[in-house]
Amino acid sequence: MRGSGPSPGRRVKRATAAVVATTALALSACGSDEEGEAAQREPTVELPDLSGESLEVGAVWTGAERDNFVRVTEEFERRTGASVTVVPSGDNVSQFVGTKIEGGAPPDVVMVPQPGVLREFADNGWIAPLGETTRAQLDANYTEGWQQLAAGGDGDLYGVYVKAANKSLVWYSSTAFDYAGVSAPDTWDAFVDTAWTVWESGTTPVSVAGGDGWTLTDWFENIYLSQAGPEMYDRLAAHEIPWTDESVTEALTTLGELFGEGRLLLGGQSGSLQTDFPTSVTNTFSNLTTPDAGMVFEADFVGSVITDNTDAEVGVDARVFPFPAVGAGDPPVVSAGDAAVAVAPDGEMSEAQEAFLTYLASTDAAAIWAEPGGFVSPNKSLEFDVYPNDVQRGIAEALIAAGDDFRFDMSDQTPAAFGGTTGQGMWQGLQNFLRDPDDIERAQEYLESQAADAYGH
Amino acid sequence: MTAPTMTAHVPDPADAPASAPAGPQRRPWGERLASLASGSVVRVILVVVGVLWLLPTAGLLVSSFRDPRDIASTGWWEALTDPGQWSFSNYDSLLGNEKFTGSVWTTVAITLPATALVVVVGALAAYAFAWMDFPGRDWVFLVVVGLLVVPIQVALIPVARLFNTLGIFETTAGVVLFHSAFGLPFAIFLLRNFFAEIPRELLEAARLDGAGELRLFFRVVLPLGGPAIAALAIFQFMWVWNDMLVALIFADAGSPPMTVALQQEMRQFGSNFDVLAPGAFLTMLIPLAIFFAFQRQFVSGVMAGAVK
Amino acid sequence: MASGKAVIRARPWVAASFLLPALLLLGALVVYPIGYSIQRSLFDASGDSFVGLDNFKEIFTNDGIRTALKNNLIWIVVAPTVATALGLIFAVLTERVRWATVFKLVVFMPMAISMLAAGIIFRMVYEQNPDRGLANALATTVHDTFAESSGWPDAEPRPGGPLTVEEDGSYLLTEPVTAGTPALLPLVAVPQPQLSDAEPAVAPSGDPGEVSGTVWMDFTRGGAGAENTIDPEELALSGIKVEAVVDGRVVADTKTGDDGTFTLPAEADGAQLRLTSDNFTSPYNGIEWLGPNVVTPAIIASYVWMWAGFAMVLIAAGLASVPRETLEAARVDGAGEWQVFRRITVPLLAPVLGVVFVTLMINVLKIFDLVYVIAPSSSQADANVLALQLYLSSFGTGADQGVGSAIAVFLLLLVVPVMIVNLRRLRRENQR
Repeated sequence: MRGSGPSPGRRVKRATAAVVATTALALSACGSDEEGEAAQREPTVELPDLSGESLEVGAVWTGAERDNFVRVTEEFERRTGASVTVVPSGDNVSQFVGTKIEGGAPPDVVMVPQPGVLREFADNGWIAPLGETTRAQLDANYTEGWQQLAAGGDGDLYGVYVKAANKSLVWYSSTAFDYAGVSAPDTWDAFVDTAWTVWESGTTPVSVAGGDGWTLTDWFENIYLSQAGPEMYDRLAAHEIPWTDESVTEALTTLGELFGEGRLLLGGQSGSLQTDFPTSVTNTFSNLTTPDAGMVFEADFVGSVITDNTDAEVGVDARVFPFPAVGAGDPPVVSAGDAAVAVAPDGEMSEAQEAFLTYLASTDAAAIWAEPGGFVSPNKSLEFDVYPNDVQRGIAEALIAAGDDFRFDMSDQTPAAFGGTTGQGMWQGLQNFLRDPDDIERAQEYLESQAADAYGH
Repeated sequence: MTAPTMTAHVPDPADAPASAPAGPQRRPWGERLASLASGSVVRVILVVVGVLWLLPTAGLLVSSFRDPRDIASTGWWEALTDPGQWSFSNYDSLLGNEKFTGSVWTTVAITLPATALVVVVGALAAYAFAWMDFPGRDWVFLVVVGLLVVPIQVALIPVARLFNTLGIFETTAGVVLFHSAFGLPFAIFLLRNFFAEIPRELLEAARLDGAGELRLFFRVVLPLGGPAIAALAIFQFMWVWNDMLVALIFADAGSPPMTVALQQEMRQFGSNFDVLAPGAFLTMLIPLAIFFAFQRQFVSGVMAGAVK
Repeated sequence: MASGKAVIRARPWVAASFLLPALLLLGALVVYPIGYSIQRSLFDASGDSFVGLDNFKEIFTNDGIRTALKNNLIWIVVAPTVATALGLIFAVLTERVRWATVFKLVVFMPMAISMLAAGIIFRMVYEQNPDRGLANALATTVHDTFAESSGWPDAEPRPGGPLTVEEDGSYLLTEPVTAGTPALLPLVAVPQPQLSDAEPAVAPSGDPGEVSGTVWMDFTRGGAGAENTIDPEELALSGIKVEAVVDGRVVADTKTGDDGTFTLPAEADGAQLRLTSDNFTSPYNGIEWLGPNVVTPAIIASYVWMWAGFAMVLIAAGLASVPRETLEAARVDGAGEWQVFRRITVPLLAPVLGVVFVTLMINVLKIFDLVYVIAPSSSQADANVLALQLYLSSFGTGADQGVGSAIAVFLLLLVVPVMIVNLRRLRRENQR
């Protein structure tokens, strides 16, 4: 991975500059005096007057997720007088932005879910480095680790992580666990034993969303992070060690204890490959008396799929345990998130763009966003009581408590061609592995050849 | 390309089979063949195939009335025996969603001008090709006809750049122009052949009355071209209404037409059929209504060149 | 066509003003892009350096694009053939049926639907789970009518328990049985719904004159039960066929009762007990429509669903113009219906069939939406086609517009022959 390491010297200089900039901000710029419901909190950031300005923000979110984000942009409109439209970017943000840049009408701000894509944007010169007011907010509210995730190849910061996801969670059906007489396991071995016991009880233990390659990469990453340790994880993410490395073999062997047993997977291996992510969740929680599957692994946003598509109640019917520790390692904490970047092919951020990113980096925005649920903020200044329920609060607390002791989703850090493209790279490689879990060697060779292509080394 | 052989049908929609059950004097050989296997077998086959053909659409329609929870757990056919599953809530939320209703208007705002433009510009050129003499006429016409088969994909990159220069990328105008340009070869081809059949005397009589070319065009040629223009308009309308690719690239992502709005709903984190099913059905409503109302024109339009 | 000689010699500016809007649009948005694409296809991703035909080489060497190429080939051959054949059959069958109009409407209707909507429709149809996806619901229904389903498809021996799974799928109690000592045959992994009517399992008394035993689900709710022991709440597996085997030969067989017990005559003493595999055949789950192997045919089927009506309508129009006398004459000469169809009708219809076929071929070349919408991400690479690859290659961070343009030019080259044929025919007709 290019330039992912923090560069402390540079940061200190920037931070000083940022503090000066904050104090220098015009006070006159506060929004209108009408009191919206969201404005009861004391503003923590000053925003300029942007009347007449308009911003187009591209984000992948649809439905309720989008509505929640629109609440955040409305507050920005209220305080600055600018108008903000939120446009859907579709899953392939790179394709979306690329198309629009080609036509000369890119959105002003885009939410990028992958640090790898963010770096590619920066390398292409599509996005502008953060301004000082934004960096001031970042320094106040974000740990070094979260800041540096938005670093470009040149070490400059290009984005603000506005939304985080904890990808080290296993969700389970309390019905299935009660029936089988098992409780949440805390080691991988116990996890496999639990799976077998659940199988004996007559419930298929796990629904794997093999149809969506990204869920498989998350399985692998959790095991690898715990088993091989964070340093190896970073090296593999940067492709400093090859995918044919011994440590990868071990991780795949471990994963094979689950993926190699068709009986443990709903629909077996081939059925798993046909299962998309939402279906894997409904498989587990649609039927509350006799669930089709006992467990499903994925991030905190499983909670919103459960709420939207099943009658199960999160915390009662649907419970969650942290991804178990593998071997002698610590339990893994794999995170993901969306970074807001300012699209500016000419390299200069406009005042409105900067103000919007600054606002998003502030606790003001995070608080509004967190209220309706389905959202976890990496903003460490945000008070936990803004979260609407205990499950959400627990996930957020764990995330902030982890400080910088987390690793970002590896597949998101790699070049998009390797970690984020349908039909190739890690997605396809792990799908091949799920299809044929006995042939670890071939899976590794495929992954390595794809990585070599994508990284160009 | 459906080529000249077929154009003979265009002016005479009576040939459209949808409207032409075989009369008693037409005792085709198909009857004999059928009678071999006995007529009832044929009937059974037709009914089975017909039902098979309807089922996918029926599934979409029924699903659009079901709760997402029901869609996630059982097949749509379960709703046929359980009336309790039916509700309008999917449609309520979709039609209450400004973004979606806005996309309906965008679709209309793209489709109507794109259809009108193709008809007018195409008819002008077709008239010139049919009744005016100018140097290189046949060659230019051949080139235009040659363009009939050019895949629209060829134009995606260059036109994106061109629109960028002109400042009409991500605008309705850009999408309209793109659709018009790619609709023109067919329009010119179809209308020119039709206009060429207009009796020469009519035109000459009008000219003797002192009508200018423009007047002649609007007063004589266009009215006489009615059937062909109707077929063309319906065809173009359907094509533009149903397009996704062009809009995906050239339309404003903030207020996209329906097809793109729906496509944006298809995400890896959720296959939300409670939005997709009613949405897809709503996009189908207008084309289906037009299809049933103007079967003849539609069929003749399709026959004249479903080349795109 | 009547336009060989023009009626008026128009003043140049009049003709020009009639033509200008059309030529302007065509020139800027159709002709210019062709030239641009050809030129761009000879340059690299950045557009700065000339690479000759390297981008075209890439089309034929890059694995992903080659898959697209191969799929396009399948599309071009299969889709028009099937659609035309179905269209011909439908046209023939409907020719004499009075209510055929309704049938034709039904089959033709999908033409009015967008590819996007059709894609959404077929994503639902092809859903893997037979409880939700129509195609597999039909497939399993048909399959289950012909193949009997077994009673306990999910039951299996506990790993490490007394039963082992044999190669043929039967479960064998390795320890031979003795008369008078009831055998215990514990199974696990039976889903709860299948046990809703089951009775509690019972251990037989163990009459010394016979071999007896119990087959049951060795799992107690909450996991409290002991392994390989019939605990109080555990449920019986009824109707399971039990065979007593000596040296590979079946000496006796029976079925378990509602309480899971079975009794075999004394001959079974010393035999091995076997639970036959037909007790446990797993149910048929349908076809992986959108899996890597059949995803392209599955998407082609959805295309045929849309376009068979088009073929039918054109062919029906052609059929109506087949001269009756020729057919009658052939019949009088004693030709059978099949011969008439093959020797006379099809040749007479040949021009129409050709037009339909070629139209569909050109149409298929541009197929994009259906693949984009229907193929799930795990098999999008297996379903890839050129038009989709062109889109993917042209925009985004990993984009290479050189390759994108090369694909565009390649698509264009494929339609050139058709273009030429059309132009020739047109010129011939104009000269008449």
